[in-house]
Amino acid sequence: MTAAPPAPSIARDRLPGNAGIWVGIFCVLVEFLLLFCVYFVAKAHHREAFLTGPDKLATVAGVAITVFLLTSGYCMVKAVEAIRRDERRATLRWVLGAIALGLAYPVIKFFEIRWNVAHGIDGEAGIFYTTYYYLTLNHLVHVTWGLFGLLWVAARTAMGMYSREDYSGLEAAAMYWHTTDTIWLVIFPFFYVLR
Amino acid sequence: MGHAEKIWLLLIGLTGAGAWLGETGHSSWTLAFVVAGLIALKGRLVIDHYMEMTSAKPRLRRVLYAFLAIVPTMVLVSHGWSDVLRRLTTIN
Repeated sequence: MTAAPPAPSIARDRLPGNAGIWVGIFCVLVEFLLLFCVYFVAKAHHREAFLTGPDKLATVAGVAITVFLLTSGYCMVKAVEAIRRDERRATLRWVLGAIALGLAYPVIKFFEIRWNVAHGIDGEAGIFYTTYYYLTLNHLVHVTWGLFGLLWVAARTAMGMYSREDYSGLEAAAMYWHTTDTIWLVIFPFFYVLR
Repeated sequence: MGHAEKIWLLLIGLTGAGAWLGETGHSSWTLAFVVAGLIALKGRLVIDHYMEMTSAKPRLRRVLYAFLAIVPTMVLVSHGWSDVLRRLTTIN
């Protein structure tokens, strides 16, 4: 049995993924910065609603989403590490793991919204909850694009289209996925922690 | 335990700490500072260790770091100067 080749060292000043994905990532960052401005302006105008609003939300749902997204992101880190060693089957397993864990997000969101509505928290329950639905559902849309991207990458990995020499598509999907992680790490305290 | 596993554990631990803090349910400068710090620290862990931005083109890294600088600053400004923010965003 031959040992797996060592992962190549990472070059400095590189562009992870490809230029196209970075255009998309910058657009997403600007978009969410603008949405965060909406949050801060609404909070400045309705202090009381933002002081008491988080009390009625299910923090456990926010924590669960964070844990699943971070773990899914970890799987994509391992997928990139695996393809750098040319371990294609391991790469596919890690990508599929990332997809499975990422799919927990819409499932948790579905049950969270159902729980919310049962407790009278819909889009018209007040400015805090309107902002909460606005930001979290917008983030869910971006995660959905990311999941489609990961499915595409999984199919290409299964077809053997990535190698240690060329894995920019896989890495691009990982970069986008980590960006949605980073944005959720901001949204989570906005609605479940901060007063 | 590998590097990626240590970073994952740290991120999960910080998430738990943030959630526990939220359950105390008080608005204060301490909470605002801790939340701003957690956003900056967790974001930096993802950007530096998951996205490997320390070896990426400086321009990409600077944009992501700027995002992580702006958001916690906004958290602190909105906590301490909400009256100013309200005045600036009121249309008469």
